[in-house]
Amino acid sequence: MNTLQFLMDGFSIAFQWQNILFAFVGVLIGTAVGVLPGIGPMSGVALLIPVTATLTAGLPTEAAAASSIILLAGVYYGAMYGGSTTSILLNTPGESSSVVTTLDGYQMAKQGRAGSALSIAAIGSFAAGIISLIGLVLLAEPLSNVALQFGPAEYFSLMLLGLAAVSGLAGKSMTKALMMTVFGLMLGTIGIDAVSGIARFTYDIPVLYSGLEFLTIAVGLFALGEVFKTVLERDHEDGTMAKIGRILPTRQDLKESAAPILRGSFLGFFIGVLPGAGATLASFFSYIGEKKFSKNPEQFGKGAIAGVAGPESANNAASGGAMIPLLTLGIPGSGTTAILMGALIMYNIQPGPLLFDDHPEVAWGLIASMFVGNLMLLILNMPLVKVFAKIIQTPKKYLLPIIIAISFFGVYAVQYTTFDLYLLLACGVLGYLLTKNDFPVAPLVLALVLGPMIENNMRRALTISNGEFSIFVTNPISLVLLLIAAAWLLIPLLLKLKGRSVVLNEEG
Amino acid sequence: MSKTFDRFAGIAFLLIGLLFVIESQRISKSSYGSAVGPDIFPIGLGAVLILLSLRLLYETFRYQAKTESGEPVLYKKFLIIFVSALLYAALLEPLGYVITTFAFLLIAFQTMERGKWIKSIIIAGVFSFGVYYFFAEFLGGSLPGFPVF
Repeated sequence: MNTLQFLMDGFSIAFQWQNILFAFVGVLIGTAVGVLPGIGPMSGVALLIPVTATLTAGLPTEAAAASSIILLAGVYYGAMYGGSTTSILLNTPGESSSVVTTLDGYQMAKQGRAGSALSIAAIGSFAAGIISLIGLVLLAEPLSNVALQFGPAEYFSLMLLGLAAVSGLAGKSMTKALMMTVFGLMLGTIGIDAVSGIARFTYDIPVLYSGLEFLTIAVGLFALGEVFKTVLERDHEDGTMAKIGRILPTRQDLKESAAPILRGSFLGFFIGVLPGAGATLASFFSYIGEKKFSKNPEQFGKGAIAGVAGPESANNAASGGAMIPLLTLGIPGSGTTAILMGALIMYNIQPGPLLFDDHPEVAWGLIASMFVGNLMLLILNMPLVKVFAKIIQTPKKYLLPIIIAISFFGVYAVQYTTFDLYLLLACGVLGYLLTKNDFPVAPLVLALVLGPMIENNMRRALTISNGEFSIFVTNPISLVLLLIAAAWLLIPLLLKLKGRSVVLNEEG
Repeated sequence: MSKTFDRFAGIAFLLIGLLFVIESQRISKSSYGSAVGPDIFPIGLGAVLILLSLRLLYETFRYQAKTESGEPVLYKKFLIIFVSALLYAALLEPLGYVITTFAFLLIAFQTMERGKWIKSIIIAGVFSFGVYYFFAEFLGGSLPGFPVF
């Protein structure tokens, strides 16, 4: 069967009525998550995992996995659409990936062109979503075929590269990011060792034998961490909301933003494919690029539509691109994709090169549903943008306690233990303290997901080589991957030594 | 960035690293005679974490602490919500989901902002009953609903 045939099969899965519903709910919640400042895509996806797990409980495993991942991915890319709304209307980015959108978007709103800015952001996101999906369809087969040749040594090095990339770019201090990574790997070793069946660090406490549940930790660190932060530090966001006015963009606006949308899409896609560099970085680079390309760069910061179109396309394309390493190599490149991967593993479905052979309905169903979801988002975001703008006004005092209650419900409904609820609260406090002090928590979650796989591959490789660690450097592919990983960590350090400012990825 | 926190964290992670290295020695040796047992990975991680923590401690002596001009932190509000969340976790199983969720939400709403009791009661009630009935009755999930007497 060729790719097209697989894609058609994917569409037949995406068009099942429950999957259309799941995609719709996903993108709807995603847009809301994007609009609400304080809940990012990461906590949105983490919070919804338990909800989807119960919703799909009656289905056979594969269908359940396909439906849940369709919903969760919808939240992820839906958030990229929603993030622009608050940036433009309130000058408050809903997501870190929409920070640069405030520069020109809010200016446009002040000039009474909020409607054009919003619709261009939606159109740009749609075009970018489709372009990155086509890229995903074209690259999926060849990349997973390459990855199929990989042995344990190559996998080990590839995963180290993934961790190095995320740690190298996350947060202000690389020492702290690396500490979080190692700490996450350590947490992953708690429980029964999968290779030898020996209990590690369990101290005869029954709940520890199955290891710390990744879901509990992710929800705690991200969702509760953010809630606690908002409770502790009152934020002021009494900005006046701009009037939206006419929604359809003018012909002139469309003409001016066509090229930025295309450039943003391709740029975002390739940045998204790279591990570690996510949507935030993509939108940032796109903004800088558009300013360079523009004939009148002095317009930027004063309401240039290219400054909205480029970055908004780039961040959406990056979220599509980020699915490539996740689906084809089984390596998440960012915090959110790490959580998506954790969700797949919960259904006993291992993302990676075998995914396309073993579970084509999950992989291709997801890809096809993303086409459907992007179309839904375009329709949702154009006429309904006024409705979503209302969500911004949800009072914090009701929202925050309800987020805590949803996290409790989610964790308890999946785990059935009070221990996980305490762990959840502890992770919430930890998440708040760590993030406040520039310890990035995204690498921790990523390491927690990758940890057991890294260890297994390391030990398989070492068993093959009779305990010789040289296998990792004598194997050419593995050596190259390790060198890239080292470069990823060393180059920012060298640049810092030279006094250059380094672009950071705050999103994770 | 707070120097005190960084130092504290550095020491805490240093101890965690040490603990990992020491405790890894007690993991039983692999039974099938492979060269790599289940203890190598944690020992390595512990060692790396120790090195990184030392590096962080060294860094804290080098940079100037920025004076925190941050806004007053609302400890009282947070503590009330946190303690009620702890009670929520502890009482969820004995008292059931509906009562504990309702009580927690009501306390948390009122802690966030006083007043509007009726609206708070309605939202808390709709959420706790709604989630329970949707999940337990409609979806057939298992959740301790009410006290078991």
